[in-house]
Amino acid sequence: MQADRRRINAPPGGTAPPVFASPKNTTLKRPTRTRKPDEHRKLFLRTGVVPSASGSAYYEIPPQTPQQQGLLVPASSSLKITCSVHGPRPLPRNAAFSPNLLLTTHVKFAPFATRSRRGYVRDAGERDLGMHLDTALRGVIIGERWPKSGCEVVITVLEGEEDGWWGDAGGKDGGGGWGMMSVLAGCITVASAALVDAGIDCVDMVSGGVAALVCDGQDDGKTDRGARMVLDPSPAEHREIRAACVVGYLQSRDEVTEMWMKGDVGTQVEALLDEAVRAASLTRSVLAEALREAVELKMGAGLDDANGGLKEDKGKKKDVVMSG
Amino acid sequence: MANGSPTAPGISFPRQTFAKLTPGPFLHAHLKQQEPIRASGRSPEDFRKPNINTGSLTHSNGSAVVRVGDTAIVCGVRAEILLASDIPHPPRDDLHEDDLVEDLGLLVPNLELSTGCSPAHLPGSAPGTLAQSLSYRILSLINASNLVRPSDLAVLYTEPQTEDDTPAEEASKVTKAYWTLYIDILCIALDGNPFDAAWAAVIAALQNTLLPKAWWDPDREAVLCSPLAADARQLQLNDVPIASTFAVFSTASPLKRRNEFDSWILADPDSFEEDLCKESLTIVVASKKASCGGILRLEKTGGSVIGKVSMQQCVRMAEDRWSEWKAVMGG
Repeated sequence: MQADRRRINAPPGGTAPPVFASPKNTTLKRPTRTRKPDEHRKLFLRTGVVPSASGSAYYEIPPQTPQQQGLLVPASSSLKITCSVHGPRPLPRNAAFSPNLLLTTHVKFAPFATRSRRGYVRDAGERDLGMHLDTALRGVIIGERWPKSGCEVVITVLEGEEDGWWGDAGGKDGGGGWGMMSVLAGCITVASAALVDAGIDCVDMVSGGVAALVCDGQDDGKTDRGARMVLDPSPAEHREIRAACVVGYLQSRDEVTEMWMKGDVGTQVEALLDEAVRAASLTRSVLAEALREAVELKMGAGLDDANGGLKEDKGKKKDVVMSG
Repeated sequence: MANGSPTAPGISFPRQTFAKLTPGPFLHAHLKQQEPIRASGRSPEDFRKPNINTGSLTHSNGSAVVRVGDTAIVCGVRAEILLASDIPHPPRDDLHEDDLVEDLGLLVPNLELSTGCSPAHLPGSAPGTLAQSLSYRILSLINASNLVRPSDLAVLYTEPQTEDDTPAEEASKVTKAYWTLYIDILCIALDGNPFDAAWAAVIAALQNTLLPKAWWDPDREAVLCSPLAADARQLQLNDVPIASTFAVFSTASPLKRRNEFDSWILADPDSFEEDLCKESLTIVVASKKASCGGILRLEKTGGSVIGKVSMQQCVRMAEDRWSEWKAVMGG
């Protein structure tokens, strides 16, 4: 690999990830889905994590299955995404006139986000996620209110969902990138929270939802036998994922701004889409609650400011007389 | 406006307006009072309270999230195997053990600032001067402080005795591979003083690192690891050095006379103060068993306001800060 001149590089000779031998006395158990097919995992969403940005949010799905006893290799990962929004800011002088807000999205996985270490340079999968996120947000932002301005939405994925169970032989690459779909659903939700925190005009709150057609038991040879529809799939919990769909959904207008469907759905396209929309409605309730708390905090602080003393726990800012 | 004059009432703006329009005089007006205070409400010797959370990342061998005021930094340590046979220039036999880690490049830190942590650091470009210099400072500090012993990172193999060896001879141990630790530091939010927080995150993450038990398999000619947590061992650090940064705010200007200026030393500057200060001082204090030992590194750039007396005061403040960090890291 080319040595990156601007970063500190690996030792010459190259390194390889450690290879684990199967443990003698313990048997590996694949995690199984214990929740109902229409139940979403517990979400955690908070805004205002980056005070110097116009708006920011942090989204987390804590790990559901407990760690297999005594094993170093984690059974399944959680999802941790942080988003910061910088804007609306003026475009550079030499940029062409734009009557609408110029949205730029940027998605990056941290090097420690996945089972195998990622590099610092953005690869094609991340650019693709950025494009999908851009489509989802473009449908919800009222661009005409901000001519000649730009807005940057920057997403860092601190921990990403996996594509399959690590114990499956060759399951990683043959999986088809199902983990990216859960990551995209999370990115849409967190970007929506950050946009509201930044005060950018939107027609509604967009929330992301993902549903999949999964196969758990023995397959009899018939195409749909054994396959069921679940929402919010965790790819490690299922033996095989046939198809999956991510939507960006506006609940109060019943509109879909972004849809990404992958795999062999057969005749159940509309059913899969409806499941994904249902998943998006569930995440929207968490989004609304988090944003309500954030707005109440801001309104409370704003009222105190009018009375002459900002209620800050950082330290008492005293007013001084400036002269000269 | 002359002082003491009872005439015209001044114009009054909210604090943020003054801070945006004239940041220098704004900070100066705070500091020149009887009891100097900074714009954020801290006194000039106050450091921000740190907060550490370790072990939250699933795919890393060790991880830490450090929050100092509004600056938040995440550090993940990933261990990978470097085979001794792959090393293009094996180290000389007379190389001191302390230099082995640096010579082989077994600790690889990288600080990433272009994560949208502040409006000045937006992604899409290669690392700039600040990110590169911070990464390099962390690397040189890691090498200078001898944090990790090379024996902790080596994978040894006891060669089986052949017929030629006499039974009394000891079996020779050969290093077949080394663990390489990739230390990836990501800045999530930046409000001044990234170096202190990044360094603390590196120390906390390294202390949290678990290395699996590894052995050389002669049949497969590869290194195998045990996935059992009971076999893994925690990385032991030789030292727990802590960094403290100070900035100097001075009212010297080319329009005034050379010695007609006031200056204040501000501990742990935030981004508002960093933009206004040209001179900065970083002191890294090493530990010696349980108490804090001597100075490991002293870096001062940008001016000549800090003299010997102020330097000693800063060293004392750095030692107090060492105790504060040690308490938060939990020994």
